Amino acid sequence: MALAWAAAALRAAVGGGVRGAARPRWAQDLPRFCSTQETPKDPPPAPSPYQERPWEYLESEEYRATYGDKPVWHGYRRNHKGSVPPQRARKACLRRGKPVGNPCPICRDRNLLVDFRNVKLLDQFICPHSGVIFHPIHTGICLKQHKRLSQAIAQAQDHGLLWLRVPFVPVPEEDFSNQHAAVGKTPPAPALREPGRAWYPWYEWQQPPAAEVARMRRLYRGFLKENYPDNPPSPSGK
Amino acid sequence: MAALGSRGSAALPSRLRALWALPARRALAADAGAAEGKAAPPKPAFTDEAVQTLLYKMTGLDLRKVFRPVKKDLKPPHYKLMTEAQLEEATRKAIEEAKTKLIMPPVLNEREPIDDVLAEDKVLEGTETAKYVFTDLSYSIPHRERFIVVREPNGVLRKATWEERDRMIQIFFPKEGRKVIPPTLFKDENLGTVFQQDRHEDVLNMCIAQFEPDSPDYIRVHHRTYEDIEKHAKYDLLRSTRHFGGMVWYLVSRKKTDGLLIDMINRDLLEDATSLITLYHMLHPECQSAKEAKEGKLQGVDLIKVFVKTESQREGYIQLALQAYEEAMATSSAS
Repeated sequence: MALAWAAAALRAAVGGGVRGAARPRWAQDLPRFCSTQETPKDPPPAPSPYQERPWEYLESEEYRATYGDKPVWHGYRRNHKGSVPPQRARKACLRRGKPVGNPCPICRDRNLLVDFRNVKLLDQFICPHSGVIFHPIHTGICLKQHKRLSQAIAQAQDHGLLWLRVPFVPVPEEDFSNQHAAVGKTPPAPALREPGRAWYPWYEWQQPPAAEVARMRRLYRGFLKENYPDNPPSPSGK
Repeated sequence: MAALGSRGSAALPSRLRALWALPARRALAADAGAAEGKAAPPKPAFTDEAVQTLLYKMTGLDLRKVFRPVKKDLKPPHYKLMTEAQLEEATRKAIEEAKTKLIMPPVLNEREPIDDVLAEDKVLEGTETAKYVFTDLSYSIPHRERFIVVREPNGVLRKATWEERDRMIQIFFPKEGRKVIPPTLFKDENLGTVFQQDRHEDVLNMCIAQFEPDSPDYIRVHHRTYEDIEKHAKYDLLRSTRHFGGMVWYLVSRKKTDGLLIDMINRDLLEDATSLITLYHMLHPECQSAKEAKEGKLQGVDLIKVFVKTESQREGYIQLALQAYEEAMATSSAS
């Protein structure tokens, strides 16, 4: 109790003198280890204004001023030790909600949204000569974005918004007359032709021959119920 | 662009003609029977040799378009030094290869749906919750003779529908360029975006890869493409491709030949215009211009003029185009 009062007094004294400049860590109002006070979190980043229509950003002045005519990944460099850059792309630019230093070209701009409808952005990551998606090491994007980009490109090609290489399929040489029984009409079975008739004869009750009934009666003479009819009712549900 | 090489006879091999002629011959027999012995000439089919010759002549053979560069994996360029004789030999081989690429895909009627029930086993009702599809996986039988049956949860054993058949065959015997679930771009609302990019030929090639020639989707996509081309007069997109013949057949059957005729006259393809009118007369022999042409045995520009007067809706435009052509011919012959 006394210690807390003394610390508060010291903090007030220091705070009064060093107004405006950054206070030392021991003087800041940070919660201590194992304290029940909640850590002040940064406010969540505002969503991009182009959320609904991501293709409009690529026509805007802001985009032109930032990137000009070059693709968005032009000039991006990984930071690494040594002369040879790492031959593996980064896994993700957001680790536990926090961005890494030097995020990839897509993650660093919140308005660049990977969507199958903004074809201009997707086109920048496809080779104009061979039609192949660039490797993430070449463009510098993280693997998470590369996966989302590949899926968006496949979806755009599926919808017809992006060019897709069509292999030349020669004209099929088949018999198109459809005469074979596999694809043509087959005459229906007798049971289907007559509506009342059951498919298998044993679906309906079949009266056994009288000699068999008599034999069974003789065999189980002592165990049959009295007045048990020769023609018991058929069980329900056929 | 002047076409290199000669325009020879029909490119359709005889074995294909024999295979596809089966429905045509049956249809012809049916038509002859229905005519009640009036001795009416049978209606020409797509596979007839005369029709195929005309369509092949109209398609043209532009080697620069057939062998145009496409996007593929990059390789360093390959140069060859050739003599004149070697160059001619190489051109001849290229023309042979182009002829195989220009074989026209079949034009068939829509297939009849399959709805045959093979058995009804009420004993099995309630035992299963899902349908079972049984496919015959023998390797050497053609896909159209493959038995594929479905056991429903209520015990009914029926033959699989055409869509189920196509899906199962694609799962077990995958074909290049075909997906199990057709791409969304074949839906009517998405076809518009592709047509705006002028990719009609790509759509038709993908359609041939994806669907069977007698499936309703194949026919629908082809008809949509032809309608769009006719609406915007983009006939040149399909020239020197294997789809041009199908498009001409579609337009002539429905008597929508005016735009195509204007396009041909504007490009100075008078022989193609006369072939088109000849095909029209073959398909519609009862029309006025057919009778006049037969009586007068007209050729060339006279045939076109008679056709324009009697059958066309856009008479003015075609007359203008013909006048422009004749003036151009006159100036070129005078100078």
